[in-house]
Amino acid sequence: MMLYTLLQVNPIEGFFFGSGKSMVVGGVAVIILIGIGLWLWRMEKRIQALSRQADDAFQNTKSNAAS
Amino acid sequence: MIQGSWKIGGIALLAYVVWTTFTVPLGPGLLELRDRNEAASTDGITKRIETYELIGLGTHWGAGTEDLRVFIRKGQNLAQLPVIDVIDDTHAHIALLLPDTLPSRSWDVLANHPVDGTLFLQNGLFTDAYIIEPTAGLEPPVFDEHAPNLPHHFPFQPRIFETIRNLMLHVPMWFTMFLLMGIGFVASIRQLGQKEASNTVFDQRAEASVQVGMAFGVLGLLTGSLWARYTWGAWWVDDPQLNGALVTVLVYAGYLILRASVEDQRLRARLSAVYNLFAFIILMILLMVLPRFTESLHPGKGGNPGFNSYDLDSSLRAVFYPAVLGWMLLGTWMYRIRLQATQLNQKLQRLNQR
Repeated sequence: MMLYTLLQVNPIEGFFFGSGKSMVVGGVAVIILIGIGLWLWRMEKRIQALSRQADDAFQNTKSNAAS
Repeated sequence: MIQGSWKIGGIALLAYVVWTTFTVPLGPGLLELRDRNEAASTDGITKRIETYELIGLGTHWGAGTEDLRVFIRKGQNLAQLPVIDVIDDTHAHIALLLPDTLPSRSWDVLANHPVDGTLFLQNGLFTDAYIIEPTAGLEPPVFDEHAPNLPHHFPFQPRIFETIRNLMLHVPMWFTMFLLMGIGFVASIRQLGQKEASNTVFDQRAEASVQVGMAFGVLGLLTGSLWARYTWGAWWVDDPQLNGALVTVLVYAGYLILRASVEDQRLRARLSAVYNLFAFIILMILLMVLPRFTESLHPGKGGNPGFNSYDLDSSLRAVFYPAVLGWMLLGTWMYRIRLQATQLNQKLQRLNQR
């Protein structure tokens, strides 16, 4: 209700930029994006580590079967 | 670390894009020249004075109220309208003081101000109480176009206004989808060229690229629909470009459904590779070829299905091009992770079978 009243007085454009809220939105969006980047980086490393472990396990079972 | 620098570069580009998208202000523009319905005549015989309210968006008329100049223009005819009063930064009262005979009914409105530069409102004035004589000429006033004296800003576009920021999200989604579907297309060709049918490495690549490409396609549809709601007043309109985009995404959804319905790995790889070739051709036809031949609400019609050079100015390009590159790099990264996850899953399945 308060937001509605504010928007009646100021159009959304004036409110968004005039009040300096755009900097907050931009900052939060950048933080979220960097967070997604870090998460992707970590997930890729984990998948690569798991893939190496799977390769090792595959080699072990292969050599065990041969012996 | 060096190998991963393109990933850091992609995120850095997107951080720059997101920051500038949300923080760069919109440039000034004219919204409306509204009749105030306070018509009055000076002498009741030869002249009529009607007052209009000129409404701007993001204008700075309060800074230098005496410097605001308002003109109307039709072809070569130009006339200056006296400014009665500047109410605030975005509102001014204008007198419609014109000869009884005019060469046209509809006029473009121009406003000159040292801060905002020359602003333009196409067909902003319709004069219905004058005698129209196409050969009637007006004595042209002194008029110079001014460049704005403002910090970096995005261009004001009628009807689009602040939603111009969506350009950095909506359009790169489709560019990224094209890239990923292109990767899938090449992978499918190479899969069909495999001599050993059991080798499905390229099939995995095609699947991963289509999965991630689909995500970008759906995001493209959502951001486009949101934009359409604001600028055209409807979430969806019967438009060749929009329908083509939806059909393309559905065709690729069919690819994923087809894959899920075939259990035999070799058959699945072959069938889906053939389907993917047709899907990519359909994508190119529906999104790149057909829109060039049809009229549509979508920007840049009549030859170009996207924004054209008149819609993109240098301030937008400085953000738009990095946005396209950044989203493409992120999409490629996501594709690689998806592919690695698929390959890991296959390795684990092989281990379990032993």
